Amino acid sequence: MIRRALRRIVWAVLVVWATTTITFFINNVLPSDPARMVAGPQARPRDIERIRKQLGLDRPVLEQYGRFMRRLVHFGPPNPSPKDAEHGTCATLGRLHFDLGKSYQQRRPVTTILGERLPRTLMLALAAVLVQTLLGVLTGLIAAAKRNTAIDHLTVGASLVGISAPTFIIGLVLQFVLAHRLRLLPLDGFGETTSQHVAAIVLPALTLGIYGAAYYTRIVRDELIGAIKMDHVRTARAKGLPAWRVWMKHALRNALVPLVTLIGLDLGALVGGAIVTETLFRWPGLGALSVTALLDRDGPVVMGTVIISSAGIVLANLLVDFSYALLDPRVRR
Amino acid sequence: MRSIRKRTSALVACAALLGCQEPPPSPLPAAGNAAPVRGGELRLASAFDIKSLDPAVASDALTGEAIELMFAGLVDFDDAGHIVPDLAERFERSEDGTTYRFFLRDNIFFHDGSPIRAEDCKRTIERALHPDTPGSFSLFYDRIAGFEDYQNKKADHLAGVVVEGERVLAIHLREPDATFLPAFAMQILRPVCPSAGDRYDDTWTPCGAGPFKLESWDRGRTLRLVRFDKWWQPGKPYLDRITYSYSMNIVTERYKLETGDLDTDRELSLPDTFRYQNDPRWKLLGEYDVIPSINGEEMNVEMAPFDNVEIRRAVAAAIDRDQIRMLKTPSLIPLYRVLVPSLGGDDPNFPAQKHDYAAALEHMRRAGFPYDPATGKGGWPKPITYPVYKQGLYELSAQLLQQQLAKIGLRLEIKVVSFPTYLMMTKRRGTTAMAPAGWQQDYPDPNDFFEPIFTTSAINDEDSNNGAFYSNPRLDDLVVRGRRELDAAKRKAIYDEADAIVCSDAPWAMEYQYRYYGVHQPYVKGLRQSAVWPNYVRDVWLDKPRALAMRRAPRGILATLEGLLR
Repeated sequence: MIRRALRRIVWAVLVVWATTTITFFINNVLPSDPARMVAGPQARPRDIERIRKQLGLDRPVLEQYGRFMRRLVHFGPPNPSPKDAEHGTCATLGRLHFDLGKSYQQRRPVTTILGERLPRTLMLALAAVLVQTLLGVLTGLIAAAKRNTAIDHLTVGASLVGISAPTFIIGLVLQFVLAHRLRLLPLDGFGETTSQHVAAIVLPALTLGIYGAAYYTRIVRDELIGAIKMDHVRTARAKGLPAWRVWMKHALRNALVPLVTLIGLDLGALVGGAIVTETLFRWPGLGALSVTALLDRDGPVVMGTVIISSAGIVLANLLVDFSYALLDPRVRR
Repeated sequence: MRSIRKRTSALVACAALLGCQEPPPSPLPAAGNAAPVRGGELRLASAFDIKSLDPAVASDALTGEAIELMFAGLVDFDDAGHIVPDLAERFERSEDGTTYRFFLRDNIFFHDGSPIRAEDCKRTIERALHPDTPGSFSLFYDRIAGFEDYQNKKADHLAGVVVEGERVLAIHLREPDATFLPAFAMQILRPVCPSAGDRYDDTWTPCGAGPFKLESWDRGRTLRLVRFDKWWQPGKPYLDRITYSYSMNIVTERYKLETGDLDTDRELSLPDTFRYQNDPRWKLLGEYDVIPSINGEEMNVEMAPFDNVEIRRAVAAAIDRDQIRMLKTPSLIPLYRVLVPSLGGDDPNFPAQKHDYAAALEHMRRAGFPYDPATGKGGWPKPITYPVYKQGLYELSAQLLQQQLAKIGLRLEIKVVSFPTYLMMTKRRGTTAMAPAGWQQDYPDPNDFFEPIFTTSAINDEDSNNGAFYSNPRLDDLVVRGRRELDAAKRKAIYDEADAIVCSDAPWAMEYQYRYYGVHQPYVKGLRQSAVWPNYVRDVWLDKPRALAMRRAPRGILATLEGLLR
């Protein structure tokens, strides 16, 4: 078991490294010039050339890659000053340094930018997963319990709409109704205080959650319909247990196993940022950051967001694997 | 047919759902004061974001709006674009035009409370023009004596910038330069606090000497500026605070304007622009920002078929600028020459480019590629790749251009690329034969519309701002003369001649000048149209009624349902 876990962890690190490397080279062979993007479309060539040198973009790609990988994780003095030429852009863990360089556009350490954005993205990802899980399980349960009735058809139909509707449409409608017309929630933003953060997260979390919930509803419904016919559920019924207990304790528990995989993967994917939702609601997370960085050819930020996203997905996969082992004893063998 | 009807109904329903069908709500009332009132917070927003608040490195117009409030210059522009003193009480130019002397006001201060001396102005200039500063426009100032030595690190200081007393700064040029003063009045060399030091540093907290100072900046979200009480103009500025919200969806911007959470909206969508312009309650509350710019088609004179001047002339004559204007009527002003009216391009008898289909066909014949519109035969035999980036207007104008040029036998193959790729393709030698191009004034002087884009010195193998790779010794000579000439009437004649050469040789086919439309609530007073600064709010004051709740009340569930069902 431990050997298997170690092997999985080594693979996870390799996947993140491969993703990072591939992204680095793709980013560097794209037909565009980050120095021009920094300087602006009307900058004079001599100024662009100067900026290119300052950013180190005049060096061969392999040399840039070598420097990037050397700097990514290294050792240095604890708590370096931001003005330190060598280590000013590093995030530190004692003497262990992580350095993604400085954003071409913002001229700030990428680790600082990610440090600001990641918690906000994690907050949104968790809230969205919570919404979609609660909503999806509840509606799936109702649909399965009322199988082949009007309620079931309505729930399944609604879930189809939820899956089919683009996120930005769901977001725009929610924003219009709940924020613009009813003024129940803020239109956008992140807020300044905890209560404002909570109010601000509702719309983006609902927007993401409705899409996920629609998908979960169908899965939970189908799994429950399968589970309810199983022997141990029939036994529970024969023992005279109340219906709600049969559904909740004996059927739902089995039905949730495939959902765990989905929740894990969704959480991992959301760590990379929900681009459309974050942009629509001006949620200051990684999604909006990564799309801006891509458009601006801000290489260091692109690399930072890719590392976070790939690490998020890989970590989520690992957790799903391990949780499987906890949920299903057969996997442990 | 049924499917089209269904889709149209769905679209209308969607538009109605999002409030597109409704007229805008009535504007919020003003108190009716005639004289400016002090106090209040102005709330503005943009769909874009700012990247740096250091005037030495900022390069985009949106950042410029905030920098104009935070950093004052020795000189600035009035609404018409003329140079006026600001932190300097006066300035003078030597007889030969090679020395400018600025006399600073008494009792002027930086936001950190320290007095502004001539020494600070010199330090700021040297900081901004130092070769290690990642600024984009240092070459505006290459006529300052000693610039090359300083840029090549052969000198520690700029020899041409001399402190002649605590309040006197002299700037010596190596030759007369009529563009120096307008370039100097831009934001790049505006004095920065002593905390900025002698050299550019990314970690510096922006601090200047403008009418507003930085309160907080949450990157990507909000910028808050507060009134600087030691500003040299007594009683100004009027506002207590200005808050910019960035990265805001344009639909949200409109919602916030309507509910009173924003005071102006300058990024209306096209349908919303029409809604507000057609509403009599809002019509008088709208205004245009016209910062001189030129937009057109750039034709690479080194690549076929545009190495043939007759083909270029045919394109310039084939383009129907009025049709292009119809793509976005509120924003596009047809353009027929390089110089826009505010920069002297106002002569109705000027030999400008114009739409003349018969002449276009004649130019094609002279080029050796006659085209017969009746049979569709003839013209240039190969398709011409035409790159555009994903920007609404370009994607539409490309299709219209494709149709217009097809009528003279030129077939465009539209290639949609990203903006960085577009920049690379159009600025690299021998890569693109034709592409849409635009240029917005860096500083208000006709030279800025010739030297950086049409002269031989602007040609580069990479990053060439002269994307047409057009070279004409006569034009080069005129531009050099125009830059040195200090007499306004003589300069006008020089640039008129330069403009006529460009119109005739047609490295660009001119199309339109862009303008921005915005609306504001009635209580926002003192908005001024500047020829240089977009969204100019330095002198704004708020005329809000005290007793009235300025935020519009929610509509309630019933009214919302009613709106949805309508």
